[in-house]
Amino acid sequence: MKRFIFKRFLLAIPVIVGVSTLVFLLIHMIPGNPVEVMLGERALPADAERLRNELGLDRPLSIQYLNFLSGLARGNMGVSFFYRKPVLPAILERYPATLELTAASMCLALIIALPLGLLSARRPYSSTDRLSMLFSLFGATMPSFWLGPLLILIFAIHFDWLPVSGRENALSLILPSVTLGLGLSAILSRMIRSGLLEVLDQGYITAARARGAGESKVFLLHALRNALIPLITILGIQFGALLSGAIVTETIFSWPGIGRLLVQAIEARDYPLVQGCVLVIAISYIIVNLAVDILYAVVDPRVRYEK
Amino acid sequence: MKNRTLWAGASIVALCLGMAVFAPVFSPYPPQGQELTRAFSTPGRDHWLGQDRLGRDILSRVLFGARPSLLVGIGTVMFSLFIGLTVGTIAGYSKGLGDELFMRVVDILQAFPGILLSIALTAFMGPSIMNIIIALSVLGWVGYARVARGQALSIGSREYILAARAMGTGEARILFRHVIPNLLAPLIVQASFGMASAILAESSLSFLGLGAQDVPSWGKMISEGTEFLSQAPHLTIFPGMAIMIVVLGFTLLGEGLREAMDPHRQIA
Amino acid sequence: MKKFLSIGFLLWCIFSCEKQDLLKQGTLVIGIEGNPTNLDPRLATDAYSMRIDSLIFNGLTRPDENGEPTPDLAERWEMPDNRTYIFYLRKGVTFHDGSKFTSTDVLSTFESLRDPGFGSPLVTTFELVEKMSAQDPYTLRIRLREPHAPFLSQLSVGIVQKDIAQKIIGTGPFRLVRFSPGSSVVLSANEKYFRGSPRLKGVIFKIVPNDLTRILELRKGSIHFLQNNIPPDSVDDLEHNPALAVLKRPGASYAYLGFNLEDPLLKNRLVRRAIAHSINREEIISHVLRGLATPATGLLPSFHWAYEGDVERYPYDPEKARKLLDQSGYPSRSNGPRMRLSYKTSVSPLSKRIAEVLLHQIEGVGIACDMRSYEWGTFFSDIKSGNFQLFTLLWVGVVDPDHFYYAFHSSSFPPRGANRVRYRNPELDGLLEKGRRTLAKEKRREIYSRAQKIIARDLPYVSLWHLYDVVAMRKELKGFVIYPGGEFYSLENAWLEHR
Repeated sequence: MKRFIFKRFLLAIPVIVGVSTLVFLLIHMIPGNPVEVMLGERALPADAERLRNELGLDRPLSIQYLNFLSGLARGNMGVSFFYRKPVLPAILERYPATLELTAASMCLALIIALPLGLLSARRPYSSTDRLSMLFSLFGATMPSFWLGPLLILIFAIHFDWLPVSGRENALSLILPSVTLGLGLSAILSRMIRSGLLEVLDQGYITAARARGAGESKVFLLHALRNALIPLITILGIQFGALLSGAIVTETIFSWPGIGRLLVQAIEARDYPLVQGCVLVIAISYIIVNLAVDILYAVVDPRVRYEK
Repeated sequence: MKNRTLWAGASIVALCLGMAVFAPVFSPYPPQGQELTRAFSTPGRDHWLGQDRLGRDILSRVLFGARPSLLVGIGTVMFSLFIGLTVGTIAGYSKGLGDELFMRVVDILQAFPGILLSIALTAFMGPSIMNIIIALSVLGWVGYARVARGQALSIGSREYILAARAMGTGEARILFRHVIPNLLAPLIVQASFGMASAILAESSLSFLGLGAQDVPSWGKMISEGTEFLSQAPHLTIFPGMAIMIVVLGFTLLGEGLREAMDPHRQIA
Repeated sequence: MKKFLSIGFLLWCIFSCEKQDLLKQGTLVIGIEGNPTNLDPRLATDAYSMRIDSLIFNGLTRPDENGEPTPDLAERWEMPDNRTYIFYLRKGVTFHDGSKFTSTDVLSTFESLRDPGFGSPLVTTFELVEKMSAQDPYTLRIRLREPHAPFLSQLSVGIVQKDIAQKIIGTGPFRLVRFSPGSSVVLSANEKYFRGSPRLKGVIFKIVPNDLTRILELRKGSIHFLQNNIPPDSVDDLEHNPALAVLKRPGASYAYLGFNLEDPLLKNRLVRRAIAHSINREEIISHVLRGLATPATGLLPSFHWAYEGDVERYPYDPEKARKLLDQSGYPSRSNGPRMRLSYKTSVSPLSKRIAEVLLHQIEGVGIACDMRSYEWGTFFSDIKSGNFQLFTLLWVGVVDPDHFYYAFHSSSFPPRGANRVRYRNPELDGLLEKGRRTLAKEKRREIYSRAQKIIARDLPYVSLWHLYDVVAMRKELKGFVIYPGGEFYSLENAWLEHR
């Protein structure tokens, strides 16, 4: 098992290199450059040249890239052109907010999805199942930029229970995580249901039943365990999506997360900040993936031994 | 035919496709026709679904909106599913170095924030429907690949596969007869959600201003209408319902297909 | 069970009671729509940073409510000749950390602005400076290479302490307490401010990017003040809110449609005139902007001292537009539009809505337009590089008519200046050069009057409208005055009156 984990850590390095290369190429592809943005529309060519030189942007791309990589190896992500501050601390400042939102949304999603999925699989096509399917439909098709304002209008304005936006106290977390979590729970509950239904037909379930194991026990222990694989996969994917894709929710709720930071950095063509954000997101994602793969191995022993 | 789910799904999908194709025939008004003095008018005899902020007929816009929304949804899903199924099955089934390599690529792409890619691509290539489909597919196939690979890994080590191999059945035959059919079920469910998520991704892009231009996609209508949620909810409710109906149709279609494909696994 | 509920209730209280009524405590919460990137006044590139800086820092001069430069850190000044200034600085002013303000601070601020390696967007402000020196700790002498009329108003840039690497420490009425990027900027009153301690205890700028959310915050009372970031459709509602006061007045923000004058289709002045006549400004103003704008005839608003109203105008006249198009060789056709143009805009919802109506109007005379909205950086970069045909933008806070030089002089093509439309007119060039070198107001007036006539005739822009300045605030706030550039100077005297 330890070798397994170690191997995955090693494999993370090419991924990080791959992601940073991709970002580097992509952001240099977009029209516009930071010097333009910084000097605005009063840039004498000489001044623009000097600034470009100062920021290191006049060197050939390959040199810039190597500089970036070597800095990275030393744990230095460079300095943001706009904030004029080191990139890594600036990103880490916003990280807890994103983490909070992601974790709260996923927990909420699971709390709703697990019982719903279980109940639906238990009695497929019953009225419970149909209702849960309807709920799923709503959840999966409601965009967060619609659900968010709706929730604000109801719970923050009409009932003066919660704050409208911002990240001031624990109450501020509720509406944004419900907005994100509801959509996620819709997908998860259907995934759980279908995974369970798949598995309920397998040979070893019949065998367990034949052995006289109680229906519930069969259900929970064996069926659930095996339906977990696609579920864990989806959770892993969604975590990555939530980390960087919560930008709509962050905008609506003025949530100071990494998503908005990344978009602003892109708009400003703040290359080091964009690269830094993407890397931080990538690294978080790698860590989550590692956890997912470990869980695979734990849940399905056959996977473990194959390795 | 007994499979009611399949029938229901197929009819809804057909209806939506019909809406998209025959929009010019059924729309009572041109979708871009403005009537500034009658903004926000509620559903009534002249305008069955009411009028939006610029007085445009909502019914016509919903009908025309089927095109970009369906194009993006179906296009993205098809591209992503095909690529993901291929890559993921090969990776999960063959294991070893091929699997490792594929999974590194998957890791790189999945760790990459989609928003950056969408902005970069639309900035570079221009904001068109094709480019949106490409931008969404470039990262979208990864989800399918992971599920396919996870399942393939699992199935590949099952007894009946080992047995088939021992009996001398060729790898390709095993792949097509045993592995893939067992993969399809979760992938189909995911594909029906993939439709929803592609349509929603396009509406998020519209929210950021980068979605389908010119044509009124449903996502764009909801995004623009949310500003007036308390004054004029009908601006967002109708396109929202349209998205829901499309997604419902595809979900039912998906479930119906799943049942139809493997009769001995039909859930009573 | 009861125990559980009471603990829950207690926790709820603790969490929600944290949010005390800031207004009652004398703190004003202002909503802004974007994140200030850098509060150092030398490096501020966005409007939010600049407005917040107007509370933290002082410059040598400061504009008054009409935009005229008045004394700030410079008590008075003399001009021994028309290109030399001697500034007599205020004595006894201290920075927020207690250190004394002297001329060395001014010099070091200006030196860093001049240094291109520093990367300040204001680097060209000082390109005409020949020599700067401090005679003594409270006297500063600046000699320019040539007379420059706008120089005094450009000296409103905030002065920072010498040798301080970007600590946000100024001399202004409020000091920076905390900057939480993405969330808020917290300022508290500077009791030792040289004009007297502000009556407000503090000001908090809350960052709320989404339009709807911002309005809802104002309705709920968690934000107390919004200026010029209110969607026109919400104003009516806010006016009927008993807790709020809404100020509206004609402003100076100028909206225009820009042509790429190097484009083969748009080179032709007849085409440009046709487009100008096909636009129904009044319709857009009343239906999209809810009456919160006045039709414009040129860059300067009618209340500006240099405004010239006797210029060529282009009222809505689709018939005339069609005739002009026929004349210029673009007759109407049965199988398509007369011509096709591309129109670029940013992603702002209001800009897009305006564009939709505008383009619909233009389509009425037979010109089909493809609207494309881009993320700001791409949009702006395209405009600057000339990769466009039509676009709409806003000029905000134009105070000195020297802005014409920046926008229309042939040497001001981007990135050197903002002549995005690539307009060239040697006669205008000469006038604008003269205008910035002439210091006498009456003479300048004449010069710019001729300039405005030329510009209105040549039509590099179609003048659309001047937006109103709209402020929505809690009724408790008294003493707030609107400044043409949107600065918050009046908050140093404002106070909160609770009933």
